[in-house]
Amino acid sequence: MGLIASEYQQSLHSEPSSRSYLPPEIASAILRYGAIVGCEIEHLRHAQRCMDLAREKILSCEGENRSFPSGHVLIADQLTGSKGRFLRHWHAPEGGIWMVLTIVNTLLPQQAQLYSLAAGVACCEALRHYQVNASIKWVNDVLINGRKVAGILTETMRGPTSGEEFFLIGIGINVNNSSFAPELRNSATSMAEFSGHPFALEEVTARLLSKLSWNIGLLHYAEAENLATGHGLDNDLPHPLITVWRALSDTLGRQVRFGFNVMESPQFTAKAIDIDNRGQLLMRLANGQMLRENSGEIVYL
Amino acid sequence: MHDDIDFDQILNQYRSDPFEYIDVRTSHTGLLQFRAKEEDVVEGVTGEWQHIKGTLLFELERERNIKPVHSSVIGVVSSIERSLEGKFVEAGETVMTIRHPLKKREIIERILKNVLSIFPAPERAKYFFAMDIQSRIDKHGQRSISIKPNDEILTMSLMKRDTPVSYQGAPGIIHSVYFEPGQTIDQGQPLLGICSEDTLPLIQKIIARVKAEWD
Repeated sequence: MGLIASEYQQSLHSEPSSRSYLPPEIASAILRYGAIVGCEIEHLRHAQRCMDLAREKILSCEGENRSFPSGHVLIADQLTGSKGRFLRHWHAPEGGIWMVLTIVNTLLPQQAQLYSLAAGVACCEALRHYQVNASIKWVNDVLINGRKVAGILTETMRGPTSGEEFFLIGIGINVNNSSFAPELRNSATSMAEFSGHPFALEEVTARLLSKLSWNIGLLHYAEAENLATGHGLDNDLPHPLITVWRALSDTLGRQVRFGFNVMESPQFTAKAIDIDNRGQLLMRLANGQMLRENSGEIVYL
Repeated sequence: MHDDIDFDQILNQYRSDPFEYIDVRTSHTGLLQFRAKEEDVVEGVTGEWQHIKGTLLFELERERNIKPVHSSVIGVVSSIERSLEGKFVEAGETVMTIRHPLKKREIIERILKNVLSIFPAPERAKYFFAMDIQSRIDKHGQRSISIKPNDEILTMSLMKRDTPVSYQGAPGIIHSVYFEPGQTIDQGQPLLGICSEDTLPLIQKIIARVKAEWD
């Protein structure tokens, strides 16, 4: 845990590439907003499911009339009961990063729905820092050459005592692990498999945390700026996070199949055109009609 | 429990004026230009994925961006605030009213809202039943599902973030489901209609009566 924390502090100070174009006072403001990320880091050898454990910790904390720290990070070396959406299998052996970041949501709804995108951007940026050719598939899957290297699952819970809305952002990255369940063999990959060499897990974890800190800070900064300048949150001005997402994603311009649960119930095929400032995917059907979706999944065709 | 509701009077009201008058409001500030006029027949949202927009009603220009606003329902434009044409309007301003003809099903739904406890969508998102509720519905049907306050009954999904939604209201059974899985529901729109078991006979009576008496 100490190693991750110290690497994290170094990452925060040694990673100016994505913000070099910003005036220092803006970069500082963004870093201040994001500083809560990793305020507490817990590292476990193994756990059944980080998400469940984070929930238990919130309940236990509130049961003792204490506030659960926003920005708390729970990391496990391996998970024995992990699962993805719709109870899909998620293989989480040693060698990967399996973590949950818990944030108390203080954003307005228009911005809060961008947390999922911010987490995807952070993962993708962390991988690219190591010259791993990763890209984002809407909403926030991270792929290398079409194979999934990182997945994000976000859940919400309401603190029973505090009434706070907790966002539990579960992130899994295949870093050095290269054994996958048979059904995932052709659709999953790892950083090591792509690069041909292993990575220092603590360093990658720290890099991920610094990217999360920056991108979550960016969300808060964008909200504050839009409110302060009177533009409001439903404007069409370029959103800094959406701009970065577009640059990292290979979704736009692709022919996709869409479904709320696309594996079991595909709904239609369309061309992905753009995402809006709420992160919604705009798609064009073959007949030219446009659709805008705020939830669901796509597969590339 | 609902003996004080005069259903004859309610039915007569619908018979004399079988319409709903829907106020169309501005979603944000901007310069207003009407694109529809009084007595225009307007179409609502259509298409298998609800992807075909309704008739263009007006445009709002803000920051040199023109936002077209389309009708969400079928009907006739019954009034327009013409004095606002070309003016800068605030968000939430009523700029026109659409007279929407009610179908038999809609009339039943509206009458039932007097006796059902409506559980609205907390956010604009997609909704699906919590897994244990869904499996009970699959096995026994929705009207056999009893729910009470704080039961996790739905999952709200927005941008791949799943939020359990707990029921708040009087204990009862799920009588009406107003959403389909995968469909985006606007904030405040009804998701479920809940009633106590002893209200069921009254509800059946209302439905039977409207069905029998409505042409």
